[in-house]
Amino acid sequence: MIDRRGSSGWRGVALVAVTYVYFLIFAQFAFLSRLAELNLGGASLKIVLAAMAAGGVIFSLLAPRVDFIPSPTHRLRIAFAACAVGALLCLLPLGIVADLGLSFLIGAALGVLTVTLVTHLREWMGDRNPLLNVGLGTGIGYFVCNIPHLFAATPQDQAIIAASLCLVGIALASTPSESSPTRVPTESSQFSFLRALATFAALVWLDSAAFFIIQHSPALKAGTWQGSAHLWTNASLHLIAAIGAAWLLQHRRSGLVLSPAFAALGFACFLLRNPALALPASLFYPVGVSLYSVALVAYPSFLTSATTTRERGIQAGWIYAGAGWMGSALGIGMGQNLGHVPTLFVVVAGSVVLIPAFLQLSQSRTREIIALSISFTVASVIYCLLPARSETPALSEIERGRRVYIGEGCIHCHSQYVRPNSPDVLMWGPVQDLQQVHAQQPPLIGNRRQGPDLTQVGTRRSPLWLRAHLIDPPEISGGSIMPSFAFLFGDQRGDDLVAYLASLHSGDTQQQFAMEQEWQPAASALAHADLEEGGIIYQHQCDTCHDANGRARLQYLSQFKQPPANLVIGPFQYLPSAASSADRTAQFSRISKFGIHGTDMAGHEYLSDQQIASLTLFLMKQSSTAVHHP
Amino acid sequence: MSADRQPSMPQHATPGVAGAVWHSLVWLVLGNTMGVMIAILLLLPGLNPWLGEWTYGRWMMVHMNIALYGWCSLPMLGFLFKVYGADRGSFSNWCRPVLWLWSGALVAGSISWLSGQSSGKLFLDWSGFARVFFPVVMEALWLLLIVAFISKPQGDPDSTLVTRIAKMVGLIILAAVPLAIYFASSSSVYPALNPDTGGPTAASQLESSLGVVLILLILPFGITRRTQSLSKAVTLSWIVFLAEAGLCVALGRTDVSHHRPAQYLSLASLLVWIPLIPAYCAAFRWHAATRGWRIAMFWWWGGLVVSGWVLFLPGVLDRIKFTDVLVGHSIVAVAGFLTALLIFVMIQLMGEEDAWIFNRRWSFHAWNLGVLAYVVIISIAGWIEGANPAFTIVPGPAREFLYIVRLLTGVAMLAGSLEWLTAASSLPALERHVEVELQGVNVA
Repeated sequence: MIDRRGSSGWRGVALVAVTYVYFLIFAQFAFLSRLAELNLGGASLKIVLAAMAAGGVIFSLLAPRVDFIPSPTHRLRIAFAACAVGALLCLLPLGIVADLGLSFLIGAALGVLTVTLVTHLREWMGDRNPLLNVGLGTGIGYFVCNIPHLFAATPQDQAIIAASLCLVGIALASTPSESSPTRVPTESSQFSFLRALATFAALVWLDSAAFFIIQHSPALKAGTWQGSAHLWTNASLHLIAAIGAAWLLQHRRSGLVLSPAFAALGFACFLLRNPALALPASLFYPVGVSLYSVALVAYPSFLTSATTTRERGIQAGWIYAGAGWMGSALGIGMGQNLGHVPTLFVVVAGSVVLIPAFLQLSQSRTREIIALSISFTVASVIYCLLPARSETPALSEIERGRRVYIGEGCIHCHSQYVRPNSPDVLMWGPVQDLQQVHAQQPPLIGNRRQGPDLTQVGTRRSPLWLRAHLIDPPEISGGSIMPSFAFLFGDQRGDDLVAYLASLHSGDTQQQFAMEQEWQPAASALAHADLEEGGIIYQHQCDTCHDANGRARLQYLSQFKQPPANLVIGPFQYLPSAASSADRTAQFSRISKFGIHGTDMAGHEYLSDQQIASLTLFLMKQSSTAVHHP
Repeated sequence: MSADRQPSMPQHATPGVAGAVWHSLVWLVLGNTMGVMIAILLLLPGLNPWLGEWTYGRWMMVHMNIALYGWCSLPMLGFLFKVYGADRGSFSNWCRPVLWLWSGALVAGSISWLSGQSSGKLFLDWSGFARVFFPVVMEALWLLLIVAFISKPQGDPDSTLVTRIAKMVGLIILAAVPLAIYFASSSSVYPALNPDTGGPTAASQLESSLGVVLILLILPFGITRRTQSLSKAVTLSWIVFLAEAGLCVALGRTDVSHHRPAQYLSLASLLVWIPLIPAYCAAFRWHAATRGWRIAMFWWWGGLVVSGWVLFLPGVLDRIKFTDVLVGHSIVAVAGFLTALLIFVMIQLMGEEDAWIFNRRWSFHAWNLGVLAYVVIISIAGWIEGANPAFTIVPGPAREFLYIVRLLTGVAMLAGSLEWLTAASSLPALERHVEVELQGVNVA
């Protein structure tokens, strides 16, 4: 079936996707792994890769000039066939000379394939939404490569799959219709060839450097490409970004594709300098890559100002040879030699991408730029002149911690208000004086409790508990949905926050303690106590500290004021041995609910009477076992 | 309901109004996207490490503030452009820069919230540079409005002495808003408290509700005209408003509990606006295309007023304070009532030809039914939580189920808003170099 005017362009989508999958999963990945399996490294590896780049550069430039195979379909089929042969040959245990030849063949075949495909892509993309089809093909290509089964497959399997896809490509590359000029919204006057060449070179360079650095840093690789969740996320981000890029190109917003592509890639490179930030980097990297990858196909196919097919082909050749192959080689070289992307290079690359975009923008958005510049300047001057800013006194640890509390948006999950004459008082009390609330600037009452009220948290929790909880909430409070704030402990903020939280105590604590001492679960709750439920609560809430091998116990053993009691063998310092069973039940319940003041033992004030009774039943059972089997 | 026709209104949106619509929708979509992300984080807290330092709490600030100062505020710019004639004539080219400035301030704010800067005040969260930049942007808007107002030709048939005085008063009030925002964002300013809940007093709620009523009463004068027949509803509405304003003053601004009968009974006075607002609106001419959203607005308004009063009653508020029920109530306010009002106003501002972007059936229902389902689900969760805090703090299957359904309703709302944004992006007035013939003025 030939795609004619009015057709959907599915062949074009498939051809772009197949080409990307071959390039990404085989040429960039499996082939390199295969070379590593063949113990090729050091200078030999560099020479082999240089051969691929040479093949790519030479044949990208030659492809549009090859006159003895006039049919683009035939050229495409030959290129696909050569790619397939290259993939299959790499399965053999070749020596360095053969690898050199094979590498050149792969580069050459890819050069012909990519340039021929984009030069004639109009013929396969249909005329309904050709740019969206480009985005779809690119997105699918990246998506497929990130499917965990394919991504984690052996190099041999990946090579076979790549070769098979080339055969599919041969079948798809049917003779295009000559009478179906595709109409697309072009903005050629705003996006010159030289600008495209320089922009793509900068972006490919950044991408290749980041790719190489991630691939050769185990910590970064673990944070970005390992695990099914990561890969599915990457796949989805690639697909969404690619379709988004295509939509923007379709609506003549190329500036909104390449500038954000640079921003995402540049930011990812910046984050990659710290392995702890590999996770956020892994969100930006695929977005940046997919954004520009769509443009890399769309520009020579549809957006160039070239008026003839031959001119389009020559431009595509230069872009793929210069920006693609050379930019890639330079990026890999940067990754190899420096191990990171220098900030200065990001600035230079940013200038290449953003300055033309800014100049273009300034022509159509002169008033916006003037208004923004004036307002920004005026605001900056006022901001610098504000007296409050220059006269800020040095803050105490607690005051700094309060700022961290505010800045992290803690009030969106934690209130600081104990409502008088309500169940709040027993759980989070005592009640704070209203004048004290008003004296805070500002009061941090909040309006929502996703977690406990913190008005008196300094009474109820020790600094060690607060620190441990901020670092790993679900471990310390089983089932907690609070995010980890471990990053705050990379500098002073974590300790400041702990100091602030520990300072939150006021009111009549003795009366509060007396009220807690009088409390016991409702009789009905005790009557319906469930041992199984108690065991589950114990596992979630208690065993991290009270189990002999509990994670928190092992991690903080030397820092506890008193080591947490082992609830199987004791000793139970706060549980009088001579007490009756009823008294022991009451005391276990109180400790479970309110903790032990003055120690690191925290309460679980928010648990219902029924849950506390079940937990108590479980603990009684455990401790009675201890008595019988010391 | 009165006649739905107003032949003198332009059929297409002016570039200024179209720009305001587009910018509003961009922030709505961004806000909804963040809302969906936040809802996912509450279900899958294991995803939090992916956000690095941009944790849940920081995103909540961005989510709430861009909803408030983006989606809920930018349509008001379109309204002001229209009222002061800034979207027509020689200064109309400056509407778009002012809109970009406003969005720029929101970007500056978002950067500050994501980088951990906050005033600590939920709805006046401007701090650092953004606290200065945003008022400066508001001043730029004011400058455009006053220039447009002064440059309006004297012979304009719409420009009577009364309207000029009213607009002048409006400008004087608007001039004070940037400073008010700056000082109200200060950490040392905080309203009176209900000592039994830590929340607002009835007087505070009455005051803010009357502020909304005042906007509803003023809005028609800027964007449409009265019907031919005299309406008692208009006179009655203003009398009731003044009476309630007096009541508000009498209640004062002290810390008072909601258990005091004077508090919840005075708040009950707002119930009179449930029939009055539709009656008041019926005294004005509206485009026929506004009908769907106008009626939706009345329904949400009724729900908001009734639920606002019921949730304030002793016994009820004691149970639901700090729970998801109040989240549901705020969703009724912002996503239900306010959104319906804003869209209704935007359709009126744009004209009938461009009304289709908001009037497609599926997005209308996706939004309104999504909000309704959201409110029901979250209210159930909150009511349970009111008796058992562990329901939220240590989530179990029941809470997870409710939150999954809540997430789906959020996705429906996001889908609806995405369709509006996609449609608005094709508004003719947004096209570069397009010429729009409008009331005899050739606007490039």
